[in-house]
Amino acid sequence: MDQVKLPTTCNIKNGADVIVREMVLADEQAILEFFRALPLEDRHFLRNDVTDAVRVHNFMIDDTHDRVLAVVAELDGRIVASAEIDRNHYGSMTHIGQLRVIIAREIQHQGLGTILSRILMNAGIAAGIEKVLAETSTEHKVAMLGLEKMGFKLEATLKRHVKDLSGRKHDLAVYSYDVSHIWDKMEALVSDYSPIRGY
Amino acid sequence: MAVTEIRIGGLGGQGVILCGMILGKAASIYDKGHSVMIQSFGPEARGSSCSAQLMLSDRPIGYPYVRDLDVLVVMSNDAFHKFLPGLKKDGILLYEDELVHFAPGEMPARAWGIPATRFAEELGRKMVMNIVMVGFFAGVTGMVSRTAAEEAVRDSVPRGTEPLNLQAFAKGFEHGRQLIEKVG
Repeated sequence: MDQVKLPTTCNIKNGADVIVREMVLADEQAILEFFRALPLEDRHFLRNDVTDAVRVHNFMIDDTHDRVLAVVAELDGRIVASAEIDRNHYGSMTHIGQLRVIIAREIQHQGLGTILSRILMNAGIAAGIEKVLAETSTEHKVAMLGLEKMGFKLEATLKRHVKDLSGRKHDLAVYSYDVSHIWDKMEALVSDYSPIRGY
Repeated sequence: MAVTEIRIGGLGGQGVILCGMILGKAASIYDKGHSVMIQSFGPEARGSSCSAQLMLSDRPIGYPYVRDLDVLVVMSNDAFHKFLPGLKKDGILLYEDELVHFAPGEMPARAWGIPATRFAEELGRKMVMNIVMVGFFAGVTGMVSRTAAEEAVRDSVPRGTEPLNLQAFAKGFEHGRQLIEKVG
């Protein structure tokens, strides 16, 4: 997978050109507006109350330690998607990346999630991540299909794991994409054991 | 240019041979010169001593074994002690700062160190320390151009690993340039 240079302009299914670029500190207000414009049922599945300005400020400034890359997508100068890939920098899971993608309703199902996911996954691989995880409610069939199309495998389904606004419980699908084989090849190259493969 | 004799030494698993291979490729294929490499490694998969002999020239090379080293690159203490006697008096020593230990007076005049393993770990993968060393070699010696070395790295590492390997190269190159500029 080739790494995309940011910013980049991506043409999505409805013909619109979306600019994908790295998230910067100056985006704080625009990000807050983007999160606040999300329908409550979409926000409900996020980890934090993203309508809270303090929380968003922390997200932009303080919670960046584990971040490999955070991007935003802009349409007509307005943020329409936010996505990031995180990793732990200490412990047994430093090789695991967690993918998070949030897209405005008006632009969902246009292939933007796949575009953002690919950009982030490439950045993750470049940072040495071996396995990328993504979670989605099993109600989100399009998201599940999109992940599967990209090569993600359904690793687990956590039964009745998340509650929607009405208190109804849903299954949570945990997907993974293992890219460790790429680094296995590199490990073979640096083994200094047998003549280098491929030469 | 006369033939430049280089030895790269370290332990199995550090990517010593790949380091030599990339530098040879950079000099011959991408800088349009000539290079010859001979590799030797122990029978163990990891930890055995391992070295690459590399010759660079702008003319075809008739004899492939190094005798008087112009440059010695070492990534382990054993390699340092084993190969240091072969380095010319005015030769260049490039060493892994945190793995090579030496007594006062033991170090040659033109010696440059880099914490390549730590840099590689900071980038996310220890196994790219050899690519940090490739960058360091290019940055300090200038014997291969940055562009050629980057192309050789890109061409030699598995698909998908290029970005991290190129970051590792840049880290080593820039560290090398900074050391050289400091000395003036």
